[in-house]
Amino acid sequence: MMAKEKRMSSALKASLEDLLRARRLQADAPPLRGEDRRLAPLPTGVVAVDALLRGGFPRGQVSEIHGPASSGRTGLALSLVAHSTRIGALAAWVDPADGLDPASAAAAGVDLARLLWLRGEGRGPRALSAAVAAVATLLGSGLFEGIVLDLAGVAPHEIHRLPGTTWIRLQRMIEEAPAALVLVADAHVAHGPGGASLALCPAGPRWSGDPGPGRLLRALGAEARAGRFAASATPLELTAVG
Amino acid sequence: MFGGLHAPGVLPSATALLDLAREFTPRVEASGPTPVLLDLAGLGRVWPTPEDLGRAILDATLRRDLDAHVALAWTRIAALVVARARPGLTLVPAGREADALSPLSLSFLDPGPDRADLFRRWGLRTFGDLAALPATGLAARLGPDGPRLRHLARGEDALPLVPTPPPESFEMTLELDWPVDGLEPLAFLLARVLEPLCEGLVSRGRRAAALSLDLRLVNGTVYRRSLRPASPSAEPRTWRTLLLLDLEAHPPDDAIQALTARAEPTPSRVMQFSLLDPAQPSPERLAETMARLHAWTSAGRGGAAALLDTHRPGAFALGSFAPGPYSPRAAPASRSPRVALRVFRPPLAAEVVLRDRVPVFVAAPGVRGAVVDRAGPWRASGDWWDVAWSREEWDVALASGVFRIFRDALREAWFVEGELD
Repeated sequence: MMAKEKRMSSALKASLEDLLRARRLQADAPPLRGEDRRLAPLPTGVVAVDALLRGGFPRGQVSEIHGPASSGRTGLALSLVAHSTRIGALAAWVDPADGLDPASAAAAGVDLARLLWLRGEGRGPRALSAAVAAVATLLGSGLFEGIVLDLAGVAPHEIHRLPGTTWIRLQRMIEEAPAALVLVADAHVAHGPGGASLALCPAGPRWSGDPGPGRLLRALGAEARAGRFAASATPLELTAVG
Repeated sequence: MFGGLHAPGVLPSATALLDLAREFTPRVEASGPTPVLLDLAGLGRVWPTPEDLGRAILDATLRRDLDAHVALAWTRIAALVVARARPGLTLVPAGREADALSPLSLSFLDPGPDRADLFRRWGLRTFGDLAALPATGLAARLGPDGPRLRHLARGEDALPLVPTPPPESFEMTLELDWPVDGLEPLAFLLARVLEPLCEGLVSRGRRAAALSLDLRLVNGTVYRRSLRPASPSAEPRTWRTLLLLDLEAHPPDDAIQALTARAEPTPSRVMQFSLLDPAQPSPERLAETMARLHAWTSAGRGGAAALLDTHRPGAFALGSFAPGPYSPRAAPASRSPRVALRVFRPPLAAEVVLRDRVPVFVAAPGVRGAVVDRAGPWRASGDWWDVAWSREEWDVALASGVFRIFRDALREAWFVEGELD
């Protein structure tokens, strides 16, 4: 009798596994109810960058993407958000400088209905403090998997005016949450002890042809370096919306 | 035993008879203000005989100045019809229902206009006339309805009483011995009000779609706050947080003497969970989070963006953030990231030097340099019937980055729209 029950249980397990395999529930599939994904990193969906980051941005950590203008910081952060929203999670974009373009986000594959966009009223210490407080609220809610704090274009001295404990406090908060907080900035700001620091270096634009009418921006080239000492690097190309 | 209550005249209120009936028994059935049917089973200990019970009901109607008929019988139909037909108190003994109904007009049966017309043409005037007809003949002519009507005419009614539920009132008041000032003591008081209120909602399978809080202040005024979150909730903790956040933003002028919470009930949501889909965010927690972000959302600076169906660059609407159920996207994910535009809001006014009608130098606040390479021009215009726009767009590479600039053809001015990143 026991053997029969065991056989039936094995058959049920096998059929369920077949079903899951048919649905291709692999690493990039939606998380199952009750599944603990705190240990799984949050991938960007960009193969080269995910390989460089060993799977993506770690959850429960403050990470950063930094680089000068046109190095692809925003495009890469939008890829991360697009991947989060595509698998059914919620994402948030805290934007003190109000620079996000919803059309670009939609073109990057972001499900705009699942992206909470908080727009600041301008640059300045008050806008930055409000943005950091909003990030803390979002982290405390536990609802968002990917949270981006967009500090690109914000002058370094304004970031330095924030209390020195700001990033430590956010790191302590996020440790309890299955979320990844990514700072997008012009230069290194902060990252958690286990967080990723991705430095982008622009490699120049690529155009569709010779100068003249009908020419288009085809792509922006960049080099991504991961780690505090930028030990490993990979070339990156961001394609322009055609 | 059943009791019938009927008021032929005008009632002071639509629920006057129902309220009176509920003083005797909670099992009361009514489809309108009158008549009302009472289930009087089990009242023998209080009123030993039907006469005592009937007299008590009649006295109660008189005390309330209700001109009501009272009838006590052992079947529903007998109690209802006799109450409608005979004034004062009427007692129908067990087994004598047919005799009591026999002389009464068939109009009290309410058989419907077609049937009433048919019975009139058959010459039937009273319950006794209908009860005297053979059941088989009625069944042959009227189908199953015939024997049913004949049974009713004989005072036989096997249907059970279906109690009318009392009106739902989800309101809780707390009078304070000493006025309180400040949100911290109010938090404890709100818990005392909201917990029983939410328990009442849950026990009825309801949630609160909206909640209003009336604070009676020491200065005699009533300060009202109403909340209607994106999704209904019966969680006292959620409602308390939402109310406190709201009162933090809009505090009352004076100390609070009494508080009343009133919920607007709505049926509980029924959600079918899926094995394979991701867990969805708790609506209560989402509402709480959005309330905490009130400073952003109330100023129209927080929410979910939606693209508008227009060619106007940068057109979008910011709506409330209420993500719907997850539906997997059919389009495969792109494996390479896309160039995004970082928008300058408003666009930066720029000085652009042209050579052979091609930009060679750009100067704007924070963006300045010789144009290394470029793509354009791309001309677009639209909305000529409304707020027209017309522009000539260039993507220009400077030493400091790649930017999108445009010349507003209507204003004849150059602007930097944003940085391509």
